[in-house]
Amino acid sequence: MTSGFRALHPVTLFLFYGGLLLCGMLLFHPVFLLTGIVLLVSLIVIQKHGGTIVKMLPLYLLIGIAIVVINPLISHRGRYILFYFMDQPITLESVLYGVTMLLSLTLILLTSLSYNYNVTTDKFMYLFARLVPQSALVVMMALRFVPLLRRRLSQITLVQRTRGISVHEGSLTKRMRDGMTLVKVLLVWSLEEALQSADSMKARGYGTTKRTAYVVHRMDRRDRWLTGCLSILILVIMVGSALGWGRAVIYPRMQSMVFSMEDWILYVCFGIYMLIPVIVEGKEWLSWKYSK
Amino acid sequence: MARSRLWLMIAVGLSILVLALSNAVLSDHYMLLSFVLLMAVMLPLFVRFERRKLEARELVLLAMLAAIAAVSRIPFAALPSVKPVSAIVILSALVFGSEAGFIVGAMAALVSNIYFGQGPWTPWQMFAWGMMGVSAGLLRNTWWMRKRLGLLTFGLIWGFLFGWIMNLWVVIDLAVALEWKAVLAVYAQSFYFDLAHALSNVFFLAILAGGWIKVLERFRKKYGLLDSG
Repeated sequence: MTSGFRALHPVTLFLFYGGLLLCGMLLFHPVFLLTGIVLLVSLIVIQKHGGTIVKMLPLYLLIGIAIVVINPLISHRGRYILFYFMDQPITLESVLYGVTMLLSLTLILLTSLSYNYNVTTDKFMYLFARLVPQSALVVMMALRFVPLLRRRLSQITLVQRTRGISVHEGSLTKRMRDGMTLVKVLLVWSLEEALQSADSMKARGYGTTKRTAYVVHRMDRRDRWLTGCLSILILVIMVGSALGWGRAVIYPRMQSMVFSMEDWILYVCFGIYMLIPVIVEGKEWLSWKYSK
Repeated sequence: MARSRLWLMIAVGLSILVLALSNAVLSDHYMLLSFVLLMAVMLPLFVRFERRKLEARELVLLAMLAAIAAVSRIPFAALPSVKPVSAIVILSALVFGSEAGFIVGAMAALVSNIYFGQGPWTPWQMFAWGMMGVSAGLLRNTWWMRKRLGLLTFGLIWGFLFGWIMNLWVVIDLAVALEWKAVLAVYAQSFYFDLAHALSNVFFLAILAGGWIKVLERFRKKYGLLDSG
């Protein structure tokens, strides 16, 4: 049973994540990004899939350290020199730029984590099946084929091993060649069978009329409200950032990080935007906890 | 009703696109700019694919090829850069044309990333493999691609091109400030990975080419699939 933020209409969810991705790229300011990260992490934790963050951590640390360390070493732009490392000036600006870049990337990666959890493949398909029916059908079928093919591949491997064709023994060349023999058997078998299912699709009337889809999602009042709010906020953020608000000026010379009036407006908008899912999710949690 | 809603969606989409694009250009948001441009390049190809009314058989065939390409990535997951996907995309494009090549390549990236993890790199991979398919399909009737050596060279070149396109993602999205030294460092660092990809392409194409083309041609002739494309 899905509830809370997950239960919103796919259009609303997709809009939220699209906008969030945009914010992560547009709002190049450590304070904005940090706020976004904190609120997104709290959403992930409330939704109880914090484990995905832990799983991503090693890869993330690798990239993160690379960015933060490499940027000051390569880029010597900026005015305030912190210290010299092997005769290379390390500037405050380049360190700060690296950190901000890292925050931006963090927000984007967290967005994709949360997206994968909330917008499942079937919701994605619901959104695009009517817009691009043929491509959506191909993706859906390919998705279904993947587990089937893996099962078949293990059967083929089992049978071919009796003939001495195996990827586990012999030289590297032999193993790669054998691997490709297995894939070729898979190809012939699967294509033959795929064409049969296509004929069966055709026999049942595929392509005779426009393709219809069973619609499980209904746009209710809350969805419409939230969609409206999100759209307005995104619009404000985009226009504002086009006017240069909410952007830390780092190069060529760092300028004050203190918010101006315009930055505050943008910050409040962004804060509300990020709070919406947390509130939706938190309300559900509270009413569940205190309803007994 | 449905029609007017479609137009409305197109209008909204276009206005967002224009706003995003102006935003990107005005204030140096290269990441956003690259996203918008990628979408702009791939959209017409998807639209063209949508407008062609394909038979059920052809759709299933494309889905199957994309799935096989995606699955072939799984046993090699431990070896970075060794991806039979490229070889399968190129061979599909050689037999079924550039449009099919694009769909197989883009879909294989999308589908296999559901297992490997989606992220900001997905559109780049879709683009890189899609373009690999398109170019292989466009060149399929030249004398060059008919020759075995030409095909292998093609695979070799695309091994590097693929890496270079993915490097663009690194350079733009992880932007270690856009400076030539940094860009060069990224490209120099990836050289061995690209080389591994290129060589594995050559290897897979050398093994697969004859057999797979024969199999796919046979299916094409027997069932009359994607003849005009």
